[in-house]
Amino acid sequence: MSDIKFGITLYSFSTEYIHEKLDLEGVLKKVKDMGYKGIEIIPAQMAPEYPYLSDEWIEELKGLLVKYELEPVCWSAYIDMGIRSDRDLTEQEIIQYTVNDMIYAKKAGFPMVRTQHAISPEIFRKMIPFCKQLDMKLTIEMHHPHHPEVPVWKEFFEIMKGEGKGYLGYVIDFSIYQTMPHKLYLDQALEYGCRPEKLDEIIEMHKKGGDMEAIENGDYNSIEKHTAEEMFGKFSAPARIDQIKDTIDCCFYIHGKFYYLDNSEHDPCIPFEELIPTIRNAGFKGYIASEYEGHHFDETIDSEEQLTHFIELNTKILDAIQD
Amino acid sequence: MDFQAYNKIFVCKENIQNVKVEGTVIGYEFKIKYPSYRGTFLSCIEELRFKMDGEEIAKDDIYFCLNNKQFLLDELPECFKEYWFVREKATVRVMKAGGIESGEHELNAFMKHRIPYTGYFGQYLVLDSDVTDRLTAE
Repeated sequence: MSDIKFGITLYSFSTEYIHEKLDLEGVLKKVKDMGYKGIEIIPAQMAPEYPYLSDEWIEELKGLLVKYELEPVCWSAYIDMGIRSDRDLTEQEIIQYTVNDMIYAKKAGFPMVRTQHAISPEIFRKMIPFCKQLDMKLTIEMHHPHHPEVPVWKEFFEIMKGEGKGYLGYVIDFSIYQTMPHKLYLDQALEYGCRPEKLDEIIEMHKKGGDMEAIENGDYNSIEKHTAEEMFGKFSAPARIDQIKDTIDCCFYIHGKFYYLDNSEHDPCIPFEELIPTIRNAGFKGYIASEYEGHHFDETIDSEEQLTHFIELNTKILDAIQD
Repeated sequence: MDFQAYNKIFVCKENIQNVKVEGTVIGYEFKIKYPSYRGTFLSCIEELRFKMDGEEIAKDDIYFCLNNKQFLLDELPECFKEYWFVREKATVRVMKAGGIESGEHELNAFMKHRIPYTGYFGQYLVLDSDVTDRLTAE
């Protein structure tokens, strides 16, 4: 039996949820039927009373988790720094949002809150006593465009390994390892006016490192230029997989991010065959959430089918290293 | 381009309704939803404009209704405690004596909105949602 389990973030069903094909209970029933146990919720998405949640709503959520025999794993919070038009949030406001999320998560039975980098090292450190008081883990998601070399993460890791040990940690999001644009992104580029042969040229240039000057001076229309700029910028500097071992002791949870899987054999964009064994051999214990994110690009894709591919692909990889 | 598929939920496919006050039609209403996977604070809306059958609707004629409250478009930047749940329909009331003619109309909705958690290196992602749809007025 592996120490790694595959869970799911309900966010994977964003298409069905926002198009009102599935409500919260419908999503929970679906993930139960698919065989999942551990779940993550984004209250900013699925709690109608957000950001001020009543005990009644939380009781309702708890009741649904019991009904569908699901395990609360992660409560995903935001640092919405740019809420105000005139300024960023102050330290006091960030603490207020974070404290509230931790209280709601505790009441709903979740052992962990995921927050975001904008919490800052200073405030992250200040949350330690409250984490201890509630016996609650607080984690920061490392999401693209961040990666381990971004200076603030050195400070975060120092706190996680030092005074926050056991309470403060981080969530790896596989977006930081993406090397290639996914099919839904490329389809969208074509829909918006990229000429197919030009898109092929841009992809080939991307594989060689991406030459934006050649794009600027070449025969490319504005959407092709935009696509090249985005592609070269976004997917050219994936995080180093060999660094995972250095901070795996602070990694309490993982977002198994993916955008589109054509089959259950291989993803040309995110190197699961390298990631899963590295994570396991580094000693990670816990949940990797299935996180389908193609809904940003195409609402006609069947999320359940995508998730099935994800589970089959990654179970195969995990089983192979355990034999 | 991230978020673009969510624009499909921006304009609700419901009929445009004329608004009657004791038998007098004083305007019309249609519904919109926030085009994303999660809700937002109204203060993150930087611009919100509508065109009906190609004609810009004057800002002062628009009342934005959500959470049992009514807002002027100029008030939105101040609404940093007002959350727009992603499945909640907002009603856009347009004040126009006589309302709108029954039949099909072309509505264009344009919103510039800030994604408040995206300031990874200082700059917030600001998106344009620009949707044209054909709706029926009753």
